[in-house]
Amino acid sequence: MNLRESTGIALAALRANKLRSFLTLLGTIIGVASVIAVVSFVDGMNRFVADKLLNAGSNVFQVDKFGFITSNEAYVNAMRRPDLTLEDADALRLGVGHAAMVMASADDQERIHYRAKHLDGLSIHGRGAGYDVIDDLTIAEGRHLTDVDDQHRERVCVIGPEVVDELFPGMDPIDKEVRIGEQTYTVVGVTKEKGKMLGQSQDRFAVVPVRTFLKYRGERTSVTINVKSLDQASLPVAIQEVRNILRGRRHLGPGRPDNFGITTADTWMEFYRTLTGGIYVVMIGVASIALLVGGIVIMNIMLVSVTERTREIGIRKALGARRRDILSQFLVEATTLSLSGGLIGILIGVGLAVLVGAVTPLPAGVNVPAILLGILMSSLVGIFFGSYPAFRASKLDPILALHYE
Amino acid sequence: MLISIRDLHRVYQVGTEEVHALHGVDLDIDQNEYVAIMGPSGSGKSTLMNLLGCLDSPTKGSYRLKDQEIAKLSDDELARIRNQEIGFVFQTFNLLARADALHNVELPLVYAGIKHEARRQRAREALTLVGLGDRMKHKPNELSGGQRQRVAIARALVNKPSIILADEPTGNLDSATGEEIMAAFKRIWSQGNTVILVTHEADIAAHAHRVVRMRDGKIESDTRNPERVAAATQP
Repeated sequence: MNLRESTGIALAALRANKLRSFLTLLGTIIGVASVIAVVSFVDGMNRFVADKLLNAGSNVFQVDKFGFITSNEAYVNAMRRPDLTLEDADALRLGVGHAAMVMASADDQERIHYRAKHLDGLSIHGRGAGYDVIDDLTIAEGRHLTDVDDQHRERVCVIGPEVVDELFPGMDPIDKEVRIGEQTYTVVGVTKEKGKMLGQSQDRFAVVPVRTFLKYRGERTSVTINVKSLDQASLPVAIQEVRNILRGRRHLGPGRPDNFGITTADTWMEFYRTLTGGIYVVMIGVASIALLVGGIVIMNIMLVSVTERTREIGIRKALGARRRDILSQFLVEATTLSLSGGLIGILIGVGLAVLVGAVTPLPAGVNVPAILLGILMSSLVGIFFGSYPAFRASKLDPILALHYE
Repeated sequence: MLISIRDLHRVYQVGTEEVHALHGVDLDIDQNEYVAIMGPSGSGKSTLMNLLGCLDSPTKGSYRLKDQEIAKLSDDELARIRNQEIGFVFQTFNLLARADALHNVELPLVYAGIKHEARRQRAREALTLVGLGDRMKHKPNELSGGQRQRVAIARALVNKPSIILADEPTGNLDSATGEEIMAAFKRIWSQGNTVILVTHEADIAAHAHRVVRMRDGKIESDTRNPERVAAATQP
């Protein structure tokens, strides 16, 4: 039996009854469309996040009290660890040979006021010298914070452009006095706009010198120490140096675990992959159910088709069709059906991905492996669920089939 | 001898009962014979036709077609014999409704594994032979009963089988069209084909040169029609 004829019969049947065909293929369409859409999103996100994480602050890692915490229990244990201090940062600055830069930082959220206006929950970044490099901030107006500001615990700040828009519409913010918490700070600089990342504004913050931050917001706050290694290759060496120095300062004997945490971009990537892995699992679940239902519907429609065409099968057998000819004819038909559903699903899935990519900041687009996966899945559904009806057709007795009314 | 049947039995299981549809049939048919198999319903003539057409296998006995034993062949081997050696013509035409005349006639060649172009060519020739050269692109529902049966005859002939096996070929046709179809069979026979006709109508059977009558699963009589034979052999 030739492929062209079987495919032709299946396509003719599809065209002959468009609504029924659409309903028949709905499960397959939904299954494949969801796979394509989700794979396209997650893959686009992966590339986007990897790009952002690995480029922004490349070769930088963080040392802090907690490290990467993923459970409440770990958090409670980490609470008992000693705080990281500015002295620790100074020791690292002196001792880590493979560090290009060591910067202490501390973060909080606070309301900021300018005259009658205010912004709630603004991110307050306490930063040491070098924050411009590590946080990748460029000055648009005024100046950056300096080491002198930090040493003198000056009440000065650099603010993001969105803060300017909200508090100083149509005004020059430089040298204006803002109130953060209980203190007043002088605005000395405004950063360049960075835009949004995953829908989050990156321009809504105020940077103050870290020592000023600690002075007014609590000397006992544990700081985060940001270390930038000389280059990518020396990152592991720098991490090891940091560990040696901190363990030495804390008199940790061999065999005792670190009582501080080190977080690299890789740590974040790994965490992110775990999250998206979860999305994949959910997607596989949804797609499997849709494809299962789609497959059963296809099996049903093929069984109906075999019954309707019993006489045709009898004629074909009388004219010399072997079992495998009939089997392959119905298998090809079932596969043509499911593949048609798969192709529609691919169009919808790709359309969704392109649409979302166009109207939201989420990156998503055409994903070739996902399309191939869709084609493969829908073919397998057709072959699997078409097997039983095709087998039934091939087993028909030619005499009974010829006299079937 | 083209067909040689010895002590052929066919038993069907109907519920707990066994039905002896054929009860020891012996029959020889030679190349280029024109044979009618007659008998009332339940006489076993349909069973015999199914066995002759290799649609069924006997319970017991021997059926040799062109010196090959058919009785013990598998389904797929029987399919090959049907494809190569048997050309069926049915009472209800049994054409594929969705395919045009040309495609219907091509079908046996599809299963014979013949290439597309050669297939087309041979199907066109067969249709021209039955006088339907101008109806090749018509679907069965666009053709008259007589034309449909001629498409079926072209389909039966297209793979050059050893036997043309016709089961009540005029049963669904008016008598004028029936005569037309019987004339077609005569022409086929005169071209050297072997024609076996299964019918319960005496005037249809009268076209044949030999009439085999069946009753109760056995052959009741096997008579040559000397008048017909004489007429046919006249120059």
